[in-house]
Amino acid sequence: MLNEERIIMMTRMAAYESGEGKKNGAIGSYFRGDYIGLQVLKSIISATIAYFLVCGMYLLYHFETLLDGIYEMDLWGLARRAATAYIITVVVYALISYVIYSYKYGKAKKKQKAYMNRLRQLSQLYQLESKNKQS
Amino acid sequence: MATLLVFKEKLKSFYSKYEAYLVPVLKFAAAFVSLLIINKKLGYMAQLNSTAIVLIVSLLCSFLPLNIIIVMGAAFSLGHVYSLSWECVVVLLVLYLLLFLLYFRFSPKDTIAVLLTPVCFALKIPVVMPLSMGLVGSPASVVSVGCGVIVYYVLNFINRNAPAINSLDADGSLVRFRYFLDGILHDRAMIVAVAAFAVTVIVVYIIRRMPVDHCWTIAMITGALMSMVILMFGDLKYHTNISIMGTIVGSAAAVGIVKVLQFFVFNVDYSRTEHIQFEDDEYYYYVKAVPKMSVTIPDKTVTKLDTRKPVQHGESASSIHTAVSDSVSHKTSSAGASSRTASAAAHTPARSSGMQTKPAAKSTLSSYREQQTKGSHAQSGVERLRERNEK
Repeated sequence: MLNEERIIMMTRMAAYESGEGKKNGAIGSYFRGDYIGLQVLKSIISATIAYFLVCGMYLLYHFETLLDGIYEMDLWGLARRAATAYIITVVVYALISYVIYSYKYGKAKKKQKAYMNRLRQLSQLYQLESKNKQS
Repeated sequence: MATLLVFKEKLKSFYSKYEAYLVPVLKFAAAFVSLLIINKKLGYMAQLNSTAIVLIVSLLCSFLPLNIIIVMGAAFSLGHVYSLSWECVVVLLVLYLLLFLLYFRFSPKDTIAVLLTPVCFALKIPVVMPLSMGLVGSPASVVSVGCGVIVYYVLNFINRNAPAINSLDADGSLVRFRYFLDGILHDRAMIVAVAAFAVTVIVVYIIRRMPVDHCWTIAMITGALMSMVILMFGDLKYHTNISIMGTIVGSAAAVGIVKVLQFFVFNVDYSRTEHIQFEDDEYYYYVKAVPKMSVTIPDKTVTKLDTRKPVQHGESASSIHTAVSDSVSHKTSSAGASSRTASAAAHTPARSSGMQTKPAAKSTLSSYREQQTKGSHAQSGVERLRERNEK
């Protein structure tokens, strides 16, 4: 006999496994600190590239002005300002990344937990069925 | 409404049945339309304007992940702009990289909004995007819609100023670069549109989440009005030169389109709303349950009524009553069973009739007449059964 409850549960689990489950499984395989640390590191690299791209654009835009006044310019002060801007950008972006990936990790773990619960329920259903068959 | 719901259910079952073919077809259509619009708007590189190229790339996109369409769209726009001037390519490439590095790392699903927003702008219904993203997305969709608006205005700027950019050839690369960047950064129409769409997404999202009946409809109408007001206010304040009539018509059309989206995504029956109240040790629960609208597709069964089967002598009269009334044969199980046996038996003489000679055909004719008279008896029997059942 077909057990409808079991089939519904299995279908839902299969749908989860093939879709969101893959991603959540990958996230769940990390410890919380490892996952968030890795993502924040990636974000810092992204922010660095983005910052240098914007700096490059700025330099191109003011190229002539910079060339004209390079000898009168306070290069040390400019470098300090650029470094401050870089640190602010990276820190802000890393903080945003930390919040977002903490949330993502929590959500993925919660879903993985629900999935494991369903798996347990499924095994119980199987046990119940086998008992019924024996009796 | 019932017809529409049946249509929706049919569409759903059709989609689930042919999903493997429909998804590539839809991807192909999305890629094809997007690339055609890019070619129409920019179209500076003759090689990319070829329909064959567009078809091949669209076909490629139909079998690859959805985000590849965006990559192809970006590549096409860069190719066209490269034909115009390399300085524009640098700016456009940096813009795409910034979008990718800073935002789409977090929500790769939203990248489609960046492609669809310029497409909606080209179709003169840009308000569709903030409305639909507010309804089906999250407040973070503000960024993706904003990015889409920026991409559109950058491409639009290139399209409008192509002759001017070309005429700056003699002045050198830096002048062109500065002209291009100035044009983008000081485009007030773009800033107003980004602000209008951001506010619209948030307003639509907030109203959609409110525990009010018809919140989706209220949200989309309010959102459309809000975007219209901000765009017009921006026009008054910053002279963005938007078409007021175009904005009104576009917003109305957008509401219509989003209403269709609502029908497919969120279709509930507020007339059957239930308010339930219960409590446990810690809380009181006030639950509002709004049922989804759904109908079952009516099953159409075709019954073949074949009354002209040749019947042998001594055959049960109920062989004809299968043709008379199917429902009665189901109700009376004995009659139904005999009818099945009779109809099965009726095939045997039919196969052998082909080998019969003329006298045999005569006997078939007489048996047919006999069957006719038996049929009338059978009919009266059926009527009697029906009457008995009714009683």
